[in-house]
Amino acid sequence: MGGKLIKYPIYVTVLLLFVLFIIIPVFYTLLFFEGDWVENLKLLDQRILYLLVKSILIAFSIASFATFFGTILGFLLYRTNLRFRNFYRIALMIPLFISPYILAVAWKDLFFLFTGNSDRISSETGVILVLGIIFTPLSMLITGNAFNNINTHLEEAGLMITDLRSLIFKIILPLIKPALFTSFVLIFIFSISEFSVPSYFGVRLFTTEMFTQFSAFYNHSLAVLQSALLIFICVVLLYADRKYLADAPFLSYGGKGKKVKIFSLKKFKISDELFVFFWFFISVLLPFSVLIIQSFKGGISKFIQAFELLKPTFFSSIWLAFLGAAISVFIGFTAAYISEVRRIKTFDWFLLFVFAIPSTIFGISLIKFYNHPYLDFIYSGFVIVIIGYIGKFSFIAAKLIGNAIKQIPQSLEEAAQIEGIGFYRRIQKIVFPLVLPAVFTAFIINFTFSIGELGTTIMVYPPGSEIMPVKVFTIMANAPQSLVSAMTLIVLGVTLLLITIMYLMVKPMLKNYSDANY
Amino acid sequence: MPIIELKNITHAYGAKKVLEDVSLNIDPGKLTCLLGGSGSGKTTILRLIAGLEIPEKGKIYIENKPVTDDSKILIPSHERNLGFIFQDLALWPHFTVFENIAFGLKERRSQHIEQRVSEILSFFDLKDFDEKYPHQISGGQQQLVAISRALVLEPKILLMDEPLSGLDVKLKRKILEHIKDLKKSFDVTLVYVTHDHREAFAIADQIIVLNEGKVVEAASAKEIKQSENEYIKYFLEY
Amino acid sequence: MIRKIFFYIPVFLILLLAGACVKQKNTIVVYTTVDQIFSEPVLKEFEKESGIEVKAVYDTEETKSTGVLNRIIAEKENPQCDVFWSGDPVRSAVLSQKGITAAYNSPVAADINDVFKDTEHHWTGFSARARVLIYNKDLIDPVDAPQSVFDLTKEKYKGKVTIANPLFGTTTFHIAAIFSVLGEEKAKQFLTDLKNNNVVIATSNGDVKKIVSEGKVACGLTDTDDAFEALKEGENIGMVFLDQQGIGTLIMPNTVCMIKNSPNFENAKKLIDYLLSRKTEAALARSCAQMPLHKGVLIPKNIPSLDAIVPMKIDYNKTAQKLEEIQNYLKEWVEN
Repeated sequence: MGGKLIKYPIYVTVLLLFVLFIIIPVFYTLLFFEGDWVENLKLLDQRILYLLVKSILIAFSIASFATFFGTILGFLLYRTNLRFRNFYRIALMIPLFISPYILAVAWKDLFFLFTGNSDRISSETGVILVLGIIFTPLSMLITGNAFNNINTHLEEAGLMITDLRSLIFKIILPLIKPALFTSFVLIFIFSISEFSVPSYFGVRLFTTEMFTQFSAFYNHSLAVLQSALLIFICVVLLYADRKYLADAPFLSYGGKGKKVKIFSLKKFKISDELFVFFWFFISVLLPFSVLIIQSFKGGISKFIQAFELLKPTFFSSIWLAFLGAAISVFIGFTAAYISEVRRIKTFDWFLLFVFAIPSTIFGISLIKFYNHPYLDFIYSGFVIVIIGYIGKFSFIAAKLIGNAIKQIPQSLEEAAQIEGIGFYRRIQKIVFPLVLPAVFTAFIINFTFSIGELGTTIMVYPPGSEIMPVKVFTIMANAPQSLVSAMTLIVLGVTLLLITIMYLMVKPMLKNYSDANY
Repeated sequence: MPIIELKNITHAYGAKKVLEDVSLNIDPGKLTCLLGGSGSGKTTILRLIAGLEIPEKGKIYIENKPVTDDSKILIPSHERNLGFIFQDLALWPHFTVFENIAFGLKERRSQHIEQRVSEILSFFDLKDFDEKYPHQISGGQQQLVAISRALVLEPKILLMDEPLSGLDVKLKRKILEHIKDLKKSFDVTLVYVTHDHREAFAIADQIIVLNEGKVVEAASAKEIKQSENEYIKYFLEY
Repeated sequence: MIRKIFFYIPVFLILLLAGACVKQKNTIVVYTTVDQIFSEPVLKEFEKESGIEVKAVYDTEETKSTGVLNRIIAEKENPQCDVFWSGDPVRSAVLSQKGITAAYNSPVAADINDVFKDTEHHWTGFSARARVLIYNKDLIDPVDAPQSVFDLTKEKYKGKVTIANPLFGTTTFHIAAIFSVLGEEKAKQFLTDLKNNNVVIATSNGDVKKIVSEGKVACGLTDTDDAFEALKEGENIGMVFLDQQGIGTLIMPNTVCMIKNSPNFENAKKLIDYLLSRKTEAALARSCAQMPLHKGVLIPKNIPSLDAIVPMKIDYNKTAQKLEEIQNYLKEWVEN
């Protein structure tokens, strides 16, 4: 394999840098943690394992819930003639742009408003519902893209012999299995390491337990040990995914269809439109009207105050998230290409490994490793924040781009190879343009997650610097609800605005390629 | 003197052996068909010649120069001076017809790109489609674009992997005529992989029949037709 | 090909340098757990007066990130922080027990009662909050409001009382103080009774304020700053200093400590002196109703003077130790 790797100097360089800057710090922390391992191992008793199982079940439910509804929405919005589908595609994404904690608060307020009692939402079901609703758009995005890329011929062949219903279940869904899996795995990992929502709803889970060890007992080593368990579970999950999907025949899409086929909904049109509207109502209108009502309770002045507070954070936050997302996408592309085309999976495992670490523990690892006099130039500046973003989110980029690369027939690259087009030129001229929509999607998702990242950032942000989500959360304490809601809406507005601008800038390029519809 | 020579080539995909000790020669200026059923290893041979796969064992010579020695690549694909028509044609979907053909030239910083591309487009009657994207033209036109794309680089050898699968009989016949002419018009040696013996007899000078990773017989089209070999007789019946 | 790699290396180096440029000379780094809306103005004022640039890391109890304290602990091999300003005595005590703090006896604090200082001068208290009861006047008649923590275990308040999760923040300290005053056995009995009386566990003191204001629960224990915030927001809220006839009200000063081997040693002293000054106490009294520990600081009328409150008599260091001892018990108490 050594000889094989040396052929890809950029890959090797990126991989080594990733290992150097991110993997080594984490291993360093995991392996050389002060604290009595034996004592801590004893603390991993039955109760903790019970919590772990409970966490797994809840994360499983959330991932299933979100993937189920995300797939339905993805199909309806990307493959049918549903009215206002372009509007919904953007509008339904909104829950992703806001921190789960704030949405949880809005939901609890909402329940109290309508039922006079928030017990019902402060439960396991509440956690599943709220996180499920938040992560559904992620699944919608992933499956929607996959729906768009199915070889139309395969569908048409199916339509010859069966109706739309069995076409969906027997042909289309099996074809997008990799996307369904990606969606499930990502959401599972996000949910199992989510802390703020279960904690706010008072639901005891593995992460809240870990947090307690961390912040009430300052027992870092036990928290690290517990997060090692989480990592282990995520790795097992991905291994199963690999085993199951790696050489499965349905991945060999081969050539693609000519045009994306838009299905006409006919007699289901009204019910489907109602369903999508209902989803929009539940996931966006309801919680956000709570936020809007709250923020205008204090008049427009709260908005101005919120804006003044956030103003100094805009530049640094946007710049950091942009840089973080750009580097993550570059890493993701490199890793995905080598993993999909050359079948070398090393990088993938590293990316997953870091992705699975709970934010706070990742933050602690970075501190432990980088806080040395000779590494001060990293630790005392913004580089550490970017390292945090890259570590946390490169996996997502690699997954999304990997799925797209999988769908490019290898012959396209081979044709160029024979013509004497060099490796990097091929990537630049053939592979990259063809996966550009996925690269863009990955960039947007990474940008969104980075600009909202709190768990790791709050552990490592340089003293005196202003970062948007950190500011919202540190101001939140004891600030009037109206101010907090106003800040949330401003963050949302800024994120949406930036994404729109980026979309408009990239659109001409995307247009060009999507017309080709290979 | 053969232009392509395979000596004792053995190749496998993982545990599955696809070629076992295959030796064969391909003569210059001729159209040679590799004929065989699915799994016979014919496409693999083409990919080995092109350098898209690396053999496990054996040697390949092109124009008397060794290009691979066991699993060592001595000359990479693009220096072997050959063209390749893929089964799925592999037209780049994000390039127009013109760009598809001009891409290789541009990358090689060739001269008179426009002129060379438009010459070849006229040759294949594709002049009117140069601004179109591959999905906007018909299947037959796509075949011709793929052929133009390979030929514009003036290869010595053109490797074709079942390029006509999926075309109707009439169109097939027309394009087969084109292909037959290529030898002369472009001074190129053709290696043509197919499972269809009618196609092979229609165009081939030489035919190499393959079965389960081994050469059954290599001879002129006429001789193959009259072969007494059991497998060939059986194969030709269908 | 090689050229490309050489292209990426400088990009990375530039990134690294960008980080390196952030360092400056005349600065001080302060980590604080005091809510940013209250702590930031004080630090800004110090910056203006001293000309020393203040770099702050804020945190919030509210969201339970507790980044700051864990960060200081994680950074202890190579401290980045000069001064730790805590909203309570517990965290400072934790740091000093872990050997992360340095002693500094500020002359400014000379007239602050020794009760509010570490005997070894590892931390010093200033502006204090008190633990109070807030109640919703729509649900409880002011005449009927509980006057003692022990009232909260009475039948008539069953299911009507909320406290924040006692594993975190000032609530832990409150419970630890009760343990100090009552002794282990009685304190545990009190907690059991509270539990049996269906106490509602809120996520934070801010949450206590919120759910009492909204009328989800009738009354709850919280800190004076949250209570005053509730009163200010015009909610229908009443406030009671508990146990004025009994064990007294828990007084929780802010504390400040210097971090051992801190990089800006001299500036750290200046900031600590500033925080311990009458001026800061007056400012905090105005902004978040904190009660000064210096005598004779000018404060708004509605803020009670510490002299008027019967305090709980505890040793803050010992109570902080107590807190560590009872953590496991509290965890059980919350979970079961």
